[in-house]
Amino acid sequence: ALCDFVSLSCRYQDFHAFDLSGATRVLEWIGDKGVCVAGYESRKKNEILHLILPLRLSVKENQGLFPERDFKVCHGGFSDTPVFDLKHVPDTRLLVTSGLPGCNLHVWQVTEDSDVIRAVSSIAMQEAEEGLWPRVAIFSSTAPGVLHGARLRSLKVVDLESQKTTYSSGIGDNEELSSLQVLDADTFAFCCASGRLGLVDIRQKWAPSENVSPGPGSAGGRWCAEVACRRGGPGPSIASLGSDGQLCLLDPRDLCHPVSAVRCSVSAPSPDPELLRVTWAPGLDNCLAVSGFDGTVQVYDATSWDRTGGQVEPLFTHRGHIFLEDGQRDTVPLLTTHTWHPHKPRTLLSAASDASLHVWDWVERHAAC
Amino acid sequence: IPPSRPGAGQDVGRSCILVSIGGKNVMLDCGMHMGFNDDRRFPDFSYITRNGRLTDFLDCVIISHFHLDHCGALPYFSEMVGYDGPIYMTHPTQAICPILLEDYRKIAVDKKGEANFFTSQMIKDCMKKVVAVHLHQTVQVDDELEIKAYYAGHVLGAAMFQIKVGSESVVYTGDYNMTPDRHLGAAWIDKCRPNLLITESTYATTIRDSKRCRERDFLKKVHEAVERGGKVLIPVFALGRAQELCILLETFWERMNLKAPIYFSTGLTEKANHYYKLFITWTNQKIRKTFVQRNMFEFKHIKAFDRAFADNPGPMVVFATPGMLHAGQSLQIFRKWAGNEKNMVIMPGYCVQGTVGHKILSGQRKLEMEGRQVLEVKMQVEYMSFSAHADAKGIMQLVGQAEPENVLLVHGEAKKMEFLKQKIEQEFRVNCYMPANGETVTLPTSPSIPVGISLGLLKREMAQGLLPDAKKPRLLHGTLIMKDSNFRLVSSEQALKELGLAEHQLRFTCRVHLHDPRKEQETALRVYSHLKSVLKDHCVQHLPDGSVTVESILIQAAAHSEDPGTKVLLVSWTYQDEELGSYLTSLLKKGLPQAAS
Repeated sequence: ALCDFVSLSCRYQDFHAFDLSGATRVLEWIGDKGVCVAGYESRKKNEILHLILPLRLSVKENQGLFPERDFKVCHGGFSDTPVFDLKHVPDTRLLVTSGLPGCNLHVWQVTEDSDVIRAVSSIAMQEAEEGLWPRVAIFSSTAPGVLHGARLRSLKVVDLESQKTTYSSGIGDNEELSSLQVLDADTFAFCCASGRLGLVDIRQKWAPSENVSPGPGSAGGRWCAEVACRRGGPGPSIASLGSDGQLCLLDPRDLCHPVSAVRCSVSAPSPDPELLRVTWAPGLDNCLAVSGFDGTVQVYDATSWDRTGGQVEPLFTHRGHIFLEDGQRDTVPLLTTHTWHPHKPRTLLSAASDASLHVWDWVERHAAC
Repeated sequence: IPPSRPGAGQDVGRSCILVSIGGKNVMLDCGMHMGFNDDRRFPDFSYITRNGRLTDFLDCVIISHFHLDHCGALPYFSEMVGYDGPIYMTHPTQAICPILLEDYRKIAVDKKGEANFFTSQMIKDCMKKVVAVHLHQTVQVDDELEIKAYYAGHVLGAAMFQIKVGSESVVYTGDYNMTPDRHLGAAWIDKCRPNLLITESTYATTIRDSKRCRERDFLKKVHEAVERGGKVLIPVFALGRAQELCILLETFWERMNLKAPIYFSTGLTEKANHYYKLFITWTNQKIRKTFVQRNMFEFKHIKAFDRAFADNPGPMVVFATPGMLHAGQSLQIFRKWAGNEKNMVIMPGYCVQGTVGHKILSGQRKLEMEGRQVLEVKMQVEYMSFSAHADAKGIMQLVGQAEPENVLLVHGEAKKMEFLKQKIEQEFRVNCYMPANGETVTLPTSPSIPVGISLGLLKREMAQGLLPDAKKPRLLHGTLIMKDSNFRLVSSEQALKELGLAEHQLRFTCRVHLHDPRKEQETALRVYSHLKSVLKDHCVQHLPDGSVTVESILIQAAAHSEDPGTKVLLVSWTYQDEELGSYLTSLLKKGLPQAAS
């Protein structure tokens, strides 16, 4: 078994595998050396942890002289409710979390003189519905604002300090939200569960540039989306992923006509579409990662994709979560989230429902093994 | 129990803990700080006892395992500061400690020219005071203090110790590991419920990378070096980790069908075989099996090394001693191979300052050797940590196993353990302490004192008829006799007999005045009827002489000497019936119901 693992993992340069005390659905970067994870169990206390990556992953030279391969728990705190989303407020020591029940967002402080993350305040949701939880994104500025909402009509921006509402969508549309992303000081992107996408300028009354809902070729299913963070550059910068495996790439200037539409290489629809995640690689052109269908993370190269909706093969599939799991369980773990390292181009972090957390990168296929 | 702490408080470096329990004083570990070159490397013993000898103050010293940060100051402590009492450790620790101490002494004195250091003879004298113990063997240090060793994993011979005085106990973990590796099992302890668990928390704030990934990294590095035609040197200390790495390489070589030779230096094989035969019970199942089936160094791909092989062309892997590249064969090989960038040296552990190992791990590329020769290090230097420590998850597991009343964290970093403290306190509902160096922690305990109850007393209680209820305490009257550290609960009669005392009878009498013009016999009858109807649970009787009894309480009616309309009831009871007697009195004072005429 060891050698199978070793030969399989010839495809990796770095590979670290960890067991958290509780599974996480969030992986939020704090700077480029630390990530936050948080538990999502409903019947017990959950931990929120601020972890520092093993030093050897951050050094540029002499990696061999750094024997430490472990995550350091830099700070930790306890949440009585499950955490489904966690965002760091940039340039502060604050975190905002959201989960079920969806009646509050919680604000936390990562303390400076000790290793405790403590609850600071809550932001009450005016309309809370059973079973729904608000998505969260942060407008960072001198007065940070928390963008949140479970449905289009309840989209708001609340000033973090005063808790005053500084923006409201002001519309009656009931569509359920699945992704929210702040793009710059004045704009945010939303994606509804139906696949409806929009870019909103908060300086104006609600008039987003949108696509036609639902997404092309979808008959139901649930969608999520992610906008690439790179400035300008050619090619599409919005990726929209459906629970049946459809993946559309769009240019923000024309949301109605996708640049490409393909089908991911998955054998079945996602068993839990809320866990769907599609991300753009910050350091590689046209490179995306997809997870939430099974126990794998798939990395795709989108150069030369067309609009035919045909199946595409991944550049690389991370199977570590299936491979390394205990073998004692009946169920195969499901990927809960993944994220790219901010500046190591091929390094990713991935987490699964069995509380495993991996840090890995992959080697180009031709490398000898 | 106040454990005070000469070392091991919130800085990684040296372990030395003092525990006072039930009037006994025990020192746990006696380590040296690897980072200092002067006296700061040793714990400060002067503050343990300002006046008086250590031998009188301490009942024993316990050493958990052979790592220098746990035993490095032992010869200094016993021979230079002065301690002649017993030093307890496991058999493997007893065998391996002196080797490491001597190695360390050589480096300090011969390499660094230190003056105030213990000598070889001191190491020998110190080891003469050692009493070796087996796992799970209860050792009586004296008639009140007993200790017991538990398997700790971590390194060969490492143990966790339970220290018990009467009903109070402390468990000290030393360094331990909760996940088994290839040559050692995982730490284990029973549900011994100590008053205090002192656990190392060096890695408490880490989440450890999986063993498979570490091993993969090691194999990948070796493979890459060998594939490019390089030579790989792995300096090892004689035992333990070396076997594990050998097994790994052997398996990998077999699977990948690799041809490059792997060697193990002869000095290692002799010693290792010898020690393993002695301590086979300390390793895990897999090693034991290999040992039984074959001599453990008859690996298919691993052969005995000859110094001439170092000059052979082509790739190879060599395991050689000593582990810190400070002398001997490993240093010789290193000097030959250092100049070629295709070669690699993998350091599997911490190296003490002053050694070549330490220098190259600090990034030094030019080394000054004897005779002013400069050695340029072009070979690849890899530092790999194979040490097995418990991380946050492991600590929680151990606390869950032992179920202590209190937890004390040592060996960790100051501000970085508040979260773990909260985690432990919440999950197990215990108090968690994190003292700093030199700080004393005092823990109140409520010891339970076992008392023997005499059979006679027990029988009498049982005869009362009420069934015992585990959840309800029952009130029992008896006499506690404390004699010769013996506690007995006996009936009062037996106590009186044993003490040769006569029993006094105590009787109370009370007069209750009743307005009743009738004759006293009729009053008595009225009293009888009344009490009979009210006290249904008790035995109420009307005696022929006119008196009424309730159980053993006697009530007699008499005429008032001056007022014929008043009757005087004499209520009389013994001390034992105090409660009923008082009750009856107050009942009668309320008066009798009107009789039907």
